[in-house]
Order: sequence, then structure tokens, then C-alpha cells
Amino acid sequence: MSPISEPINQLPKPSILEKLIQRHSKLAITLLAIFIVVFVYGMVTAPNFLTLFNFKTIIRDAALVGIMAIGLTFVTLSGNFFLLSMKETAALCIIAFATGMASGWGFELSFLFTMVFALIAGISQGALIGIGGNPIVVTLGAAGVLYGLGAYWSDNLVVSYRRPHGAEWLGTGSFLGLPNITVAFILIAISAELLLRKTSFGRQVYLIGANRAAGRATGHENFWMAIKVCTIASVCSAFVAIAFSAQVSSAQVNYFSSEFGSSGDMTIMVIATVMVGGNSIMGGFGSTLRSSLGAVFISTVDNMMVLHGFNSGPRVFAVGLMIVFSIIVFAILRRGSRSEE
Amino acid sequence: MAVEKILSFIKQKPDLMFAIILAFFVYCVFAFTNDYFMTHRTTFAIMERFAVLGLVGLALTLCIIAGEIDLSIGSNAALAAVIVVRFTDSLGAPTALLIAVAVSTIIGLIQGYFIAYLRIRAIVLTVGTLMLLRGISLFVAEEKTVMLTDFRIPDFITTKVLWYFSPASLTVIAMFVLVGLFMNFTKYGREIYAIGGARKEALAAGISLKRPMIIVFAISGFCAGLGGVIIGLRSGTAQALGLQYLLLAGTVAAFIGGVSILGGRGGVVGAVIGALTVNFLNTGLVFNVTPAFMVQLYLGILLLVVIMFQTGSVIFEKRQRRYQILKDIDNRRERLKKEMKGGAQP
Repeated sequence: MSPISEPINQLPKPSILEKLIQRHSKLAITLLAIFIVVFVYGMVTAPNFLTLFNFKTIIRDAALVGIMAIGLTFVTLSGNFFLLSMKETAALCIIAFATGMASGWGFELSFLFTMVFALIAGISQGALIGIGGNPIVVTLGAAGVLYGLGAYWSDNLVVSYRRPHGAEWLGTGSFLGLPNITVAFILIAISAELLLRKTSFGRQVYLIGANRAAGRATGHENFWMAIKVCTIASVCSAFVAIAFSAQVSSAQVNYFSSEFGSSGDMTIMVIATVMVGGNSIMGGFGSTLRSSLGAVFISTVDNMMVLHGFNSGPRVFAVGLMIVFSIIVFAILRRGSRSEE
Repeated sequence: MAVEKILSFIKQKPDLMFAIILAFFVYCVFAFTNDYFMTHRTTFAIMERFAVLGLVGLALTLCIIAGEIDLSIGSNAALAAVIVVRFTDSLGAPTALLIAVAVSTIIGLIQGYFIAYLRIRAIVLTVGTLMLLRGISLFVAEEKTVMLTDFRIPDFITTKVLWYFSPASLTVIAMFVLVGLFMNFTKYGREIYAIGGARKEALAAGISLKRPMIIVFAISGFCAGLGGVIIGLRSGTAQALGLQYLLLAGTVAAFIGGVSILGGRGGVVGAVIGALTVNFLNTGLVFNVTPAFMVQLYLGILLLVVIMFQTGSVIFEKRQRRYQILKDIDNRRERLKKEMKGGAQP
């Protein structure tokens, strides 16, 4: 080693912990520490928590929200905030799928039929956002329209179809001991991550999200990007709708509204998942892996609280607290970095 | 004289004129198609609805003027409704009302503080508080639908005063007047416009972000709380997971009233007209026996049309400005060429 390559006045390298304390405010670290303590305490004291069966349950519970969150992550990464119409897209799609199944079209045809609706919903919302409409307001309006269409189509009634049907393998089947929906979640998570990391499309998503002006200057308009990412999100919603409908062999337009699943509103759960994973809402920073882990994390906490015997009130409160915690922590951690401005 | 004044008014505020015409048009459509629409009773009913929706529209108008949007407004209203209904029996209506409104206002205040302190967009934080407040209201309501036992209070709130009004709607109208005066004639009100329209410039000019942000979100929380209290006391029941529709309806009202998503534009008069338009539509559709989801559908379409109209006009203006700059450059180049030629020949 030549002496020139080594600077003489180098300060001693700080350890990771020191770096953490130097760089970030004490508030963020305190919040994180409190959270870790509560989490570990809950994990150890919850009955039957640390079993393989329970672990599988957690992943399965995370799957539906997780798939939607992976779709939404693309939108968020590309700097288009989030879509408030996730559950309404799913509501329209679940009606479409159940109508197809009830008319005896078989699984494949119903699947394609549903995807047509998802594409229409995604492309139209993406186009409206792409020409400069604010994503929040556009999708708030689109949510009303999609839900209204779904309710009008089904007359606000339950559309059911009889077992055995062609979609049963997706809803209740299993593969190598894992439910098929879990397998789908894992596959979608891996392929989304590959799509983001290894293809030029993925890099464009990051580019446009991180710096829209630079994106435009290099010929990547947000118009086409918005259409693409909204379509991905809609297709993920449609897939969740199909999987859910396959589980219960029926559909109603309000399946994804307030009382669905663990707690609260499906759209907000999905946004919560994306945020708890630590993706930057302003775009350009994050990954689908973070969203998947966020889904698993929320599901873990929820599961833990169920095992402790909490009602839905504290559980919704806990999810809300997690979002607010993660917002504060990440905002402080990334303070000063351009991506949060 | 008068005509000129009106014309200049139209030129100054095209958005407001558009809103007034739209409101008038919607009213006329229902007035002509339904015999019962243009009656004193219906007007009273519209004013009753206005009491809640106007408040929410006002809150969202202020938020959007400041360049932010408060997504937690429905949850905040639901929390206030649950608190007031739960505690009216034990504490009496006035105390319960004060507690509920105070809680909502404080929640808004805290939100405003954090948004300014962390320098994050309001949508990010309010999505979180949306869920948090639902959890709290579930907790307060013990996951049941809470109900009043003493129905004298709902009767008092909906008594008719002065033909068309009730104590609730009179309070709301007073609130509108106060907020209108505040926004137009005080320093703090103008600060809110400033941080919405041109935040960087406003910050550079020395306006602190905290004060206007806290004021906006406190007013927003107050409006949401008052709206929730009115709904809760009027119907005598409250659900922790209810009132989700308020966000869409309030946003539609705000955007019809002429706020711009870029911030800094719009006003209280617009909020009144926007809320009235949504109320006409709502009431008229209810009179025609339209199911609730269809109302949502129409509101969604209305919102999309208005936002697209606005986006289109913004794009048009930008393009016009760019053409103007290019034209100026061309003109200058031509002039320079002429001058150079003129200078070279003699």
C-alpha cells in the first residue's frame, strides 16, 4: 500500500451505533427503541405466537394486502403519491369476476374478463394523472365512480356461484404445504422486485420518481409512466379481488370496505403497508420488498394483538400508530435529503 | 353602470361565476323535474344538510388553499360524533359538545404542528391519523353503535327558526362569516394564502410555516368536530366507522367552489356555493329515490370533470405563457437583426 493513497489526517472511523446517533435525532431513535421493546415483549408473551403454524397464518393474512401494496408501490415510487381507489377497483373487479363465474364462463375467461376492467380502470386513471391531474383528487373521484359502477352492476346484492368451481385452487388450494395465495404473494413479490431492479422500466420508475424534471429532460414523460404504474396497481387489485372471491365463492361490492379483514378500510391498509415499509411517499426511494415486509410486519403485529385478545378498536389504533410512528421516524431519518421535500 | 360592474366582476372571478352558474343550473334541473323540490320544507332540508357539508367543505377549502389536503376529516368528524353521543347522557349536551369539539380541534392542531415541524406533506400524515382516529373512536364507542337516550336535544337542534334555519345551520353560517373575515382581513389569513400559492417565496419572505399550518389544521379540525357533533346530535346515534363519505363530498364542494390544487386560490364564498351545489345534487337525487351508491357515482363524475377542467386550464395557461416567451424572443431577435442591418449599411 503506498502512503499517498491513505490520507494522513483521517478521523477514526465511527462505529455504526455512533453514526446512527450522530446522524439522526434522538426522537427517532427513542421511538424505534420503544417500538422494538413493545414488539419483543408482545412476541414473547403471546401464547402460541412462536410456532410454524402461526407463522404461516401471518404470511397468509399478509398476502392479500401485500399484493395490493406491491402494486401501489410502483405508483408511489414513480412520484404519483398513492391511489385512493385501490379498494374500489377491487370492488368493481370482484363483481366482474363473480358475474363471469356465475354465468358459467369458467375460470380463465372470467379472469380475462376481470383483467379487462382492471386495465380500463388503470389506464383511464393513469391518463388523467399523467396529463397533470393531482393523483389524490383524481383517484378520490375515480373511487366514487368505480364503486358506483360496481354497485349499479350488481344491484348492491351478493353475486354467488356454487362450489365446485374452477377457481377453487386459487382460493383454498395449497402447494407444498403453503396456501396458494401465499405462494402467489411470494412469486409476485419476487417478480416485482426483479422488475424494479433488473429492467429498464424499473429504473425509469425510480428516475421519474426521484426527479421528474430530469426524467422529462431525458425523454421519460410522466404521462406514459403514470399509465403503466396505475395499470400495474389496478391489475394487482384485480388479482386480489379474484383470489378473495375464489375463497368465499361470492362477491359483493362492499367486501373491501370498512369491515374487511383485520382492521379498517382496505385502501388505507394498503397505503399503511407501503408507508410502514418505509417507502418515500414523494417517490424515488423504496422498493417492493419493503412493502412486502411492511405487510408481513403489520400482519405480525395484528396477529400478536389477536393472540393477546384485543378487540378491533385497539388493533385499528395500533395500525394507525404504526403509520404515524413510521412517518415521524422516516421523516427524521431522511431529514435534509432531497427526496422528502 | 351596474352591468359594467357585473362584467368586471365576472372578469375578475371566472371560477366563482362558473360555480354560481353550476349551482343555479343544478337547482333548476331538480326544480323543474320534481314538484316538491322548490318548496319551503325542502329548502329547510337543504339548509340542514348544508350545516354539515358546508363545514366539511369549508375545512377542505382552507386546507387546499394552504396547498395541503386533510384526509382525516371523516375520521375526525366520526370521533367527535361518537364522543358527543357517548357523553351527552352522563355530562349533559353542552359539556359533551365542548369536549368533542375541543378534542377535534386539538387533534387538528397537533397535525398542523407535526406537518410543519417534520416538513412533510399533509396527505402523508393524515392518512396515518385517519386510521389512528378510527381506532380511537372504536375505542370510545366500545365497538358498538352509540345512541342517545334523551331525544330532546335532537329536537332542539332541528327546530325551525326564521323559516329556513335551525340552531345548527345558524351556527354554521356564523362560522362561515367569521372564517371569511379572518381569511380576508387578518394577517394570519393572508399568510395561509401565501404558503399555499407560493410556499418557497413565502418562506423566503420570512413567514414561518408553523403558524399558518397550525391555524389551518386547527380550523379544519374544529369544522370537522362541529360537523360530527351536529350529525351525532341530530340523528341521536353515531358509528365509529361511519362518515367516510364526507371526504368525497367535501372535496367536491371545495373544488366546485374554485380552489386550485396548486393552492392559494379560492375563498369562503366559493366554499358556500360549492357546498350548496353538492347539497342540491344530493337532496335532488334523494327526492328522485336514487340509491346512495349512485349519489357517490355522480359526485365522483362531478369531481373528475371539475378537476380535469382545472388541469386543462392550467396546462393551457402554461402553454400560452411559453408561446408568449418564444414570441418575445423572436421579436427581439428580429429587431436586433434589423438594427444590425441598419447599422451596417450607412
